[in-house]
Amino acid sequence: MTNPIELQYQVEQFYFHEAELLDNRQYLEWLKLLDPDIQYVLPSRINAQVENRLRGSQSMIAVDAELEDKDSEGCPLREENIAHLTVRADRAYKVNSWAEHPPPRTRRLISNVRIKADNQGLLTCRNNFLLHYCRPGSRNFVYSGERQDCLSFNSDTINIRRRRIILDYADVNYPTVGLFF
Amino acid sequence: MNVTLSHLVNDDASLISRRCWTDPQVYALEKKGIFARSWLYLAHESQLPEPGDFVQAYMCETPIIVARGMDRAIHASINSCTHRGLPVCRSDHGNTKRFICPYHNWSYSVEGQLMTIPQERELQHQPDKTQLGLKAVPRLDNYQGMIFGSFDESIESLDEYLGDMKFYLDAFFERFDGGIEIMGSPHRWLIDANWKLPMENQLGDVNHGPYLHAAVIPPEANEEILRCGYSAVPKAGHGATFRLMDESTPWEQLAWGMEGMGGILGGTEVQEYLRETQAKAVERVGPIRARMKGLTYGIYPNLSFLWSNTSFKVSHPRGPDKVEYWSWAAVPADAPAAVKRVLRTNYSSFFGPGGILEQEDSESWMQQYLGANIDFAEDRPFYYGLGLHDEIKPDPDLPGAVSITANEHYARAFFTRWRKQLEAVA
Ligand code: FES
Ligand SMILES: [Fe+2]
Repeated sequence: MTNPIELQYQVEQFYFHEAELLDNRQYLEWLKLLDPDIQYVLPSRINAQVENRLRGSQSMIAVDAELEDKDSEGCPLREENIAHLTVRADRAYKVNSWAEHPPPRTRRLISNVRIKADNQGLLTCRNNFLLHYCRPGSRNFVYSGERQDCLSFNSDTINIRRRRIILDYADVNYPTVGLFF
Repeated sequence: MNVTLSHLVNDDASLISRRCWTDPQVYALEKKGIFARSWLYLAHESQLPEPGDFVQAYMCETPIIVARGMDRAIHASINSCTHRGLPVCRSDHGNTKRFICPYHNWSYSVEGQLMTIPQERELQHQPDKTQLGLKAVPRLDNYQGMIFGSFDESIESLDEYLGDMKFYLDAFFERFDGGIEIMGSPHRWLIDANWKLPMENQLGDVNHGPYLHAAVIPPEANEEILRCGYSAVPKAGHGATFRLMDESTPWEQLAWGMEGMGGILGGTEVQEYLRETQAKAVERVGPIRARMKGLTYGIYPNLSFLWSNTSFKVSHPRGPDKVEYWSWAAVPADAPAAVKRVLRTNYSSFFGPGGILEQEDSESWMQQYLGANIDFAEDRPFYYGLGLHDEIKPDPDLPGAVSITANEHYARAFFTRWRKQLEAVA
């Protein structure tokens, strides 16, 4: 079993490396960090009805009650696999990806990295992000949210097996949520 | 008001002034002339199966509660307390017996009646609560489960309003035994653009596809549109674009649902469902419409529908310079739950705020808004004349004015109606 401090260090370094690839627009390199079976989900968030009978309890204000997720009868903003993510990555290398050509400038800050569980090389992790996004001819935007990941961890490689992104908004006041969060 | 409509839209609607998208005075006229006098999409019945179910909606900028009452009928009320105007409903959807205003706790039934005024027991004279309910939307109507409302008490029936648009709507709705169903809350997307820009895009502008979307849409898809694509205007302001496929087309290239990411990646259960649905199409919608593969539809003034990337969309104005663009995933109600969950990605993969394709469209709307808002170009209106002098012959099988898709007749028809309705109130 890996020393927890060392594990924390390795996971953080992985996230910093990932952010660096994305901010340097090395999307094809980034794809290599993904498990071929990746599930990449961005639930949509709603203004949920507060249930009177739950008053006084933690579940009355639970974040999950505001999410339309993969297994719900609602509609997540994104539910993707490697095929979707590859289409998005390839698009960046084409001159007619008009919304992002010239390419946007991004800067990702990843923090509050928490390792929740270590199940024989499958790590359940959470981390927070701020993503600065600046598209040519438009305003600048900052996205904030949490990433809930499942990482597959071997001594020399880490891959992203699942990613669930919790954005901190119900209304999307952004030019797109089609980014690599 | 300092607005001369003939300066904004010329007589054949081939020249449209940039001010149509930017001028606050024009926007004020749109509220009076169009949003006060049209059928506006509110919700779909599948969202309100039980008494007490409600969803929020908008009519232009006015917040609306749409609910199924205890009488099982659909009611629509303005979401604004009669006391001081606060919204009495604060969640996107749910089920309730009462809406309780947060400020002084007046309470309203889901049908909109004022039920209690907590302060009234202190008073000697009680107000007449029957006169103080939420303002009801005076007209409601339903087509294929789509609920529309209008502030115009004397508006024609929804049936007449849609006219031959129903022929094209039914090509989709009637394909499914149980009709369609909406999945979840709308995705709400705020875009720095005028409300007419998304609308016009879906009304008939398929010709930006090979250019704006060339990074994602393969050339074969566009060749198919050139070969068998049509743009129909069943009534000025509405529009339907579609492909009419050859009779020999294999089902995989014809069936609704097979063009989206869900259909492509969904596996055998999904594809089998889509195949079976297509197999029933001739019987359900007739031989012509069974060969129809829709593209985009628009219903005047601000409802759009996507066929392959199956979604309803409403373009809610927020001033001339902002739109709150709502979109919902629609799926066949009779599909197994697992199939529905896959088919909703036909919408979300390509459209909506996270969509691979629509990020290019929304960028164009923002940039068109900026282009409309520049100075020193008043004498250079936008050119809407493509196909102006081309002949459009009636089609024996397809109602309305039916043309190739390059003809911008759909946009000219929209702006002709738009000008007339603004003239009526200017
Ligand atoms: S504003 Fe609604 S109760 Fe006073
Ligand atoms: Fe488009």
